[in-house]
Amino acid sequence: MDPHVEIESTRSLAGALGGINWGWEIPVYLFLGGLVAGLLMAVSAVVVLRGREAVTEGMRRGLLATPVLLSLGMGALFIDLTYKLHVFRFYTAFRPAAPMSWGSWILLAVYPLMALLVMALPPKFLAGALREGTSPLGRLVAWCGAHLRGLALAGVAGGAALGLYTGLLLSATGAQPLWSSGALGALFLASGASAGVAALMLVERDHAASVMLARADVGLIAAELVAVGLWLAALLTQGPQFREAAGLVLWGEYAPVFVGFVLFGGLIVPAALEALALRGRAAHSRAVPALVLLGGMLLRVVIVYAGQSVTFVRA
Amino acid sequence: MRRVMIIDESRCVGCEACVLACKNENNVPEGMYRDWVVQETRGVFPEVSLSIRSERCNHCQSAPCVTNCPTGASHYRGDGTVQIDRALCTGCRACIAACPYGARFVHPDGYVDKCTLCAHRLDRGEGTACEEVCPTKAIAVGDADDPTSEVARRMRRASLYVLQPEAATLPNVAYVR
Repeated sequence: MDPHVEIESTRSLAGALGGINWGWEIPVYLFLGGLVAGLLMAVSAVVVLRGREAVTEGMRRGLLATPVLLSLGMGALFIDLTYKLHVFRFYTAFRPAAPMSWGSWILLAVYPLMALLVMALPPKFLAGALREGTSPLGRLVAWCGAHLRGLALAGVAGGAALGLYTGLLLSATGAQPLWSSGALGALFLASGASAGVAALMLVERDHAASVMLARADVGLIAAELVAVGLWLAALLTQGPQFREAAGLVLWGEYAPVFVGFVLFGGLIVPAALEALALRGRAAHSRAVPALVLLGGMLLRVVIVYAGQSVTFVRA
Repeated sequence: MRRVMIIDESRCVGCEACVLACKNENNVPEGMYRDWVVQETRGVFPEVSLSIRSERCNHCQSAPCVTNCPTGASHYRGDGTVQIDRALCTGCRACIAACPYGARFVHPDGYVDKCTLCAHRLDRGEGTACEEVCPTKAIAVGDADDPTSEVARRMRRASLYVLQPEAATLPNVAYVR
């Protein structure tokens, strides 16, 4: 801001500025949506790359958790609406230019996909109820089993769409400098995938599967760090409002959380510990994926709140 | 037809009659405003300049609020103004996040609200409430496609400018100095 310009406005009375438009519900939803996207992609990728036999009991339980987690996220979204009676309006229109419209329909498409994948890969305690047979449910289970590879490919695509859209939802708004970067889509996709893998590591009891997941998580964290770098570099090389926005998370009000708990606590430290464990120089610990999950949640909290602190509006 | 509002900054005295007239005409709830007055002081004494202008929704031709609205509640009217269909609004507030002018707010009834350019008055052949109450005739509303209109005359002035041109929203509300 030019120090030789002073602006006074009666608008501040309107509450249109300085307030938080999107509160805690949005980062909670973005985290849970990204986590579900990651779980879907991770389990589906195991099916596609290693086959049904490689899917462990922990992964099956992770898959079963996806509809529950997504419903919790959608519950947060519903709480956020200020005109709740009109929630059905999301499904009376499709607006191709609006990421939120894409998101609404992607969420709707992902539910049956999750259900079909659970039927194809039920955890042990549900295997009895979800047996192939001659009943309609039994025939559906048989169909799911026979088309598992196709369902898994759809799971990878659906998870990627869900993860990508959570980032594009913010970047498409365009009025907040911190969100004005397409790299947010890649960042949220990588972060969601990493969170999904970390959640599986938390419940995984099979050693070989744990090693495979740890390897994948190190790669995903590396991708996430690249996306963070691209996002911040884009901001720092633009105008003063963009630099001010980047400063908020790098050395300003949100820096302790972003640098301390997201960059170091949620990305660099867990990746280093996982890399050491993979080389046999440290023990695999469940604290590591827990740190990744905490970092993923705080990443969204910081981006949503800090993003609304710096706008293009001057007064 | 392209309905535009051209505000002559050199005539504005910052009396805020436009703000009060709008609140009265549109029953804008307490503590909320569809328009507001900005006073901008530039320079260092004695080289100082002051500009005062009445601001509101810019009724952009390329409106990010319309683009980001997931239900079509925010839409363009035939005359080019941006309106909100309350029956379609979910209160998701994507439009508020997308507006680079901070022109929108949540009405206590739940839907998102903003300046309508007094569409109901224009439909009756009247001017907007802010335009009619302005004691210095700083505000003019009319058809940009009519070369004989007051707005077209003002638009030919070299000092014509819009707020935040870098946002590329092509506002239908513009200013002259």
